[in-house]
Amino acid sequence: MSTILFRLIHFVTCREASELLSQSQDRPLSTRERLRLRFHLTICDACTRFSHQLAFLREAMRSYRS
Amino acid sequence: MTATDFAQELERHRSYLLRVAQLQLRDRDSAEDVVQETLLAALSGSGFSGKSSVRTWLTGILKHKIVDVIRRKQRDATPVAALAPEGSELDVDDFDALFREDGAWQTPPAAWGNPEESLQRREFFDVLDICLERLPAATARVFVMREVLELETDEICKELAITANNLWVILYRARVALRMCLEENWFASGGSPARPGHRT
Repeated sequence: MSTILFRLIHFVTCREASELLSQSQDRPLSTRERLRLRFHLTICDACTRFSHQLAFLREAMRSYRS
Repeated sequence: MTATDFAQELERHRSYLLRVAQLQLRDRDSAEDVVQETLLAALSGSGFSGKSSVRTWLTGILKHKIVDVIRRKQRDATPVAALAPEGSELDVDDFDALFREDGAWQTPPAAWGNPEESLQRREFFDVLDICLERLPAATARVFVMREVLELETDEICKELAITANNLWVILYRARVALRMCLEENWFASGGSPARPGHRT
């Protein structure tokens, strides 16, 4: 992996990843944030589950009203 | 549909509207008033196009009425401080306990199987209701504005006079708390309400 790409990705923790996942429902993430997040999700099953569960929570809240 | 049928159809949604209004306003009287106004507006207005469900249409009217009430309340007294997540019922120690010092999950989110199936179950929404009620009042109010009334984030910030950052933090806390509550009280017991005092 090139140094530039490596620096761009910069590892995020689960805590940071979960915050970014929540914020992605409220604002567009920057390219850099998206890249970091995507990289984290490829190596982290827990955050991948968290990501699906947040999407489900939104779906549940929308069904709440229909 | 006759006028009486239409009135009866509207009446059927009263308890749902009341639940949403109560979560939002946390005050039985204001909630009842705002629902009454919504149903009256729906009855007198001819805004129903039939394109969306009656419930979605009513929710739209309710949304405007609630925003009016919030605006009025803002003018009377500004409860902005009450919105700060600090010192709320979901206490900060609990929240920090979610992650280890190195930022990894203390207890990683569990697999939920096929959660979509739960959306067909009435009991699931009862559990969801209980979880919403357990959120600190201000947090629940913001979460409902965003996820049920589907207000844009900048509208919410403007209405409540809070910063975008503050809003993201409140929504993050609400989602994390609800996720945990659903896991403990529904998914951990395999898609049925957890028995009180019993955790698997």
